[in-house]
Amino acid sequence: MFHPNKKASTMNSHERSGMCVQGDSGLVLTTDPKPRLRWTVELHERFVDAVTQLGGPDKATPKTIMRVMGVKGLTLYHLKSHLQKFRLGKQPHKEFNDHSIKDGMRASGLEFHRNTASSSNIINRTMNDGNSHMIVAIRMQMEVQRRLHEQLEVQRHLQLRIEAQGKYMQNILEKACQTLAGENMAVSGGYKAMGGIPNNNNQQGGGGGGIGDMAGGIKDFGSPLGFPSFQDLNLYGGDQLDLDGFMPHNDSLLCLGKKKPRPPTPTTNYGGSSGKGALDWSDDLRLQDIGMAPPSSCVVEQEDDFKGMDGTLVERDQLEEMYDAKSVVADEGIGGDHKNNNNNNNNNNNNNNASLKLQRPSPRRAALAVGRANHPLTTAPLTTNSPFGVDLHYDGRCRPPTYQ
Amino acid sequence: MAMAVDNAFNGVAVSNYSTSTNNSDDDFHDLFDSIMSIDALPYSPQVVEVDGGTNCNSPSNPAEDREEEEEEFKSLRLYHLLMAVADAMFGDNKSRELAQVILIRLNELVSTSHGTNLERLTAYYAQAFQDLLDCAAVSGGVPNKPHHLHRDDHSPTDVLAAFQLLQDMSPYVKFGHFTANQAILEAVADDRRVHIVDYNIMEGIQWASLMQAFVSRKDSPPAPHLRITVISRGPSSRRWIGTVQETGRRLVAFAASIGQPFSFHQCKLDSDESFRPSGLKLVRGEALVVNCVLHLPHFSNSSPESIASFLAGAKTLNPRLVTLVEEEIEHGPTIDGDYKVQFLDSLERYSAIYDSLEAGIPMKNRARGLVEKVFLGPRISATLRRIGQPQRAATAAEENCLWGERLEKMGLKAAAISFANHCQARLLVDLFNDGYRVEELGSNKLVLGWKSKRLLSVSIWASSSSSSSSSSSDSE
Repeated sequence: MFHPNKKASTMNSHERSGMCVQGDSGLVLTTDPKPRLRWTVELHERFVDAVTQLGGPDKATPKTIMRVMGVKGLTLYHLKSHLQKFRLGKQPHKEFNDHSIKDGMRASGLEFHRNTASSSNIINRTMNDGNSHMIVAIRMQMEVQRRLHEQLEVQRHLQLRIEAQGKYMQNILEKACQTLAGENMAVSGGYKAMGGIPNNNNQQGGGGGGIGDMAGGIKDFGSPLGFPSFQDLNLYGGDQLDLDGFMPHNDSLLCLGKKKPRPPTPTTNYGGSSGKGALDWSDDLRLQDIGMAPPSSCVVEQEDDFKGMDGTLVERDQLEEMYDAKSVVADEGIGGDHKNNNNNNNNNNNNNNASLKLQRPSPRRAALAVGRANHPLTTAPLTTNSPFGVDLHYDGRCRPPTYQ
Repeated sequence: MAMAVDNAFNGVAVSNYSTSTNNSDDDFHDLFDSIMSIDALPYSPQVVEVDGGTNCNSPSNPAEDREEEEEEFKSLRLYHLLMAVADAMFGDNKSRELAQVILIRLNELVSTSHGTNLERLTAYYAQAFQDLLDCAAVSGGVPNKPHHLHRDDHSPTDVLAAFQLLQDMSPYVKFGHFTANQAILEAVADDRRVHIVDYNIMEGIQWASLMQAFVSRKDSPPAPHLRITVISRGPSSRRWIGTVQETGRRLVAFAASIGQPFSFHQCKLDSDESFRPSGLKLVRGEALVVNCVLHLPHFSNSSPESIASFLAGAKTLNPRLVTLVEEEIEHGPTIDGDYKVQFLDSLERYSAIYDSLEAGIPMKNRARGLVEKVFLGPRISATLRRIGQPQRAATAAEENCLWGERLEKMGLKAAAISFANHCQARLLVDLFNDGYRVEELGSNKLVLGWKSKRLLSVSIWASSSSSSSSSSSDSE
C-alpha cells in the first residue's frame, strides 16, 4: 500500500503549495494523476475526535469513523490506511505507560530504546503522509523522554525525603532517650542499665535498663534479613541511587537497641542536657566554628562503655584509628560555659569524625559503619555536624543539606 | 484468607444466625451447641487461602495434609466464634450473656501473643469485645473510651518503639505522608508563603520531608516561608511523645537545620472539639493548605463530630488544597443497622494489615507483637465501637461514608493525582514488599492496599473557588 504512494508523496512534500487543491468537501487532494488525500492537521484532529468518540483506535472501524466524521469524499480506503497507522502510532505510547510504572527504571530503560526504534520507524513511515503523523510521532517520543526523566527525578527525591524523615525520627528517638535517661537518673540515682546489660553476643550490643523493654523487643528482631550494617543515612550522596539496598530501618533499629542511659561519670552530663531543647542547636553551631572536640577525651569515654561489651572491642581499634587520623585537634577547653555540653557535643563530634571518615572510600566505610553501628555511645548515631546531619555554618548562613 | 472463609461462612452459618425470633430459645441452644462442639462443623471446609503464605502450598504427605486441615478447621472455628460474638453484640438479637460465654471460649483458644496471625487477631477482637461488654455493663451504654487497650496507657518507650517499627515494617506512614506532601508541593509550586493547617500533627514527622523538598527545589523560587498551624485538643488528650509544644520546637529546630523559613502556631479546639476557623491566624497572599490525616495505624481515632467540624470549617477558608488520609473502608447499608458488612470488612482489613506486617518482618517475634499491642489493638477496639454504636438515623448515611465523599458533598473539587505522585508511591511501596499495591481510584485518590484488600487512601481536594496555581509537574 505504501510503495505506490511513496513516490507521489515525496514529490508532494517538496512541492506542497503548488500541488494541492481544496475540494468542495474541504478535503485537500493532490493534483497528481492519482489523487491522494492529504491528511491535514484539521482533518487529522477530526479523525482523532471521531476515534475517541467511538472508544479508541481499537474499537473504531473505518466505516463508523466515516459515519461519525461525516466528511464528503472520504472513502473507506483512506480511513483504513490512516486508522492502521494511527493504531501503530498509539501502541508504543501505551506500552510505555504500563511498563514504566510497574517496573521502574530497568524496564523503562529498555522501553525507551524500543520506543525510540519504533518511533523512528513511525517517523519513517509518516514521512510519507505528511506533517500530522510526524507531529504525533515526535510528540510521542518527547513524552517518552519526559516520563523517563520524571521517573528519575521522582526516585531521587524519594530517597532524599525518606532520609529527611529518618533524620527527624532519629531526633525524636534521641530526645526520648535523653528524657528517659534523665528520669532514670533522677529516680534510681544509680545506673541500673549498666547492671542490667545482658551478655550479648549478637551484633547489636547491649540493651539498657529503662529502655530495656524496648531494646529487648528490638533485640531479637536483630537483622533478620541479614542486612549489611547500614551505613549512615547521611552518607547517601546524590550519586547513590541504589534503592534496592536501601533499608533505612535497619540502622534505626540498631540504634534503638543501643540506647541506654550513659553512666553518671563526671564526664557526662546526660541529665543536664535533657530539656536543653533549642540550646542544643546553638552549641552545635559553636562547635563547628571552633573545630572538632579533642578526640582524646572521647576515647576515654568510650573505654568505659566498651568494657562491658562483647563483640565491640574489635571496633574500638577502628575508632581510635579514626580519631588519631584527625589532624585538627582543638583546645581542651572549648569554653568554660560549654563545659557541661562538652560531652554531648563530643558525641556529636565523634560522629562528625566518624562520618567524615565514613565518607571516604567504601571498604573502609563498611568497616567503620560496623563500628559505628555498635558504638554504644552513639546516642546520636546518625548525625554529622548537627543532629539533623546538615552542614551548618556558624555565621548563620544555612545551606540546604549537602551530603559530602 | 478472609474472603474464602467468608464465603464459606456465608454459605452456611449465616442462615443459622439470622433466623426469626420465634423460636429464639431453640435456636439459641442449637447455635450454642453447634459452636461449642469441636467436631460438629456441618460441612467440609474449603481450602482456605491464607495471605502471607502460611499454608498455601499443598504438602505432599498425609501428615501435613491433616495438619493443614486442622489449621483450616481451627481458622474456621475462630471465624465462627467471632461472627457469633458480633451477632450477639450487634445483631438483632442482642444477648450479652451469649457474647460473654463465647468470649470465654475464645479466650481459651487464642492469645494475643502466640499463634498465627488469625489467632492473634481473634484474640484482639475478643479483647475489644470484652471491653465493650465491660463498659456497657458498667455505664449502661456504649462508651466513648474503653478502659484498657487505650493507647495512652502504653509507656512512651513502647509507643515510640512501636512507631519506629511500624514505619520500618510497612509503608503506611510514609505512603500517607509522602503522597500528601507531593500533592502539596505541586499545588504551591510558585508560592512564596505557605500555610498548612494540620489536624493531627502527632509528632510532626510528615513535615520533615516536606521541608526537605521545599529546600531542595531546583526551580527559581527559594524555599517558601512555611507556617504550620496545629489543631490542638485540650489537655485531656495526652500526646504520645510529648506535647504539641515539643513537636513545635522540634519542627522549628529541624527547619532551622536545613534552612527552611518556618513558624509554628497552635489553634485550640473548643471544649467540644469543634473547630473555629476564626481561631486561625491568616496572612494575605499565602497559600492555604489543609492537611487532614485521620487513620494511619498509629493514630487514635478522633470523634466524628470533631472531624466533621474541622472539615466544614476548613472548607469555609477556601484552601488551595485539602489533603485527606483515611482508611478505605467498605460501608454497607447502615440504616437498618446491618453491621455485618462493616464487621467483615474490618476483619478483612486487619487480617490484611497483620499479613502485611508479617511480610515486613518474617519472623514471629516481639517486634510485631509490640506494634499489634500498641497500635492495632486499640484501633480494633475503636472500630468495633464505631460499628456497635447505635446508628442515629438522621446522620447514619453520612457517618458511614468515607470522609472523602463528605468533602465532595461539601462542594470541594477533586484535584488530580499527578504522574509523579503516583510514581513515587509505587517506588515507595516497592521498597517494602511485593504484596503492596498502589492504585488510583477516581482521579484524585491513591489507595494503598495489601494484596487485594484496599487499606489506606490519600485523596486531594481543592476549593472550587480558589485560584489554582500553575504547578510545575503534570497532572495526569
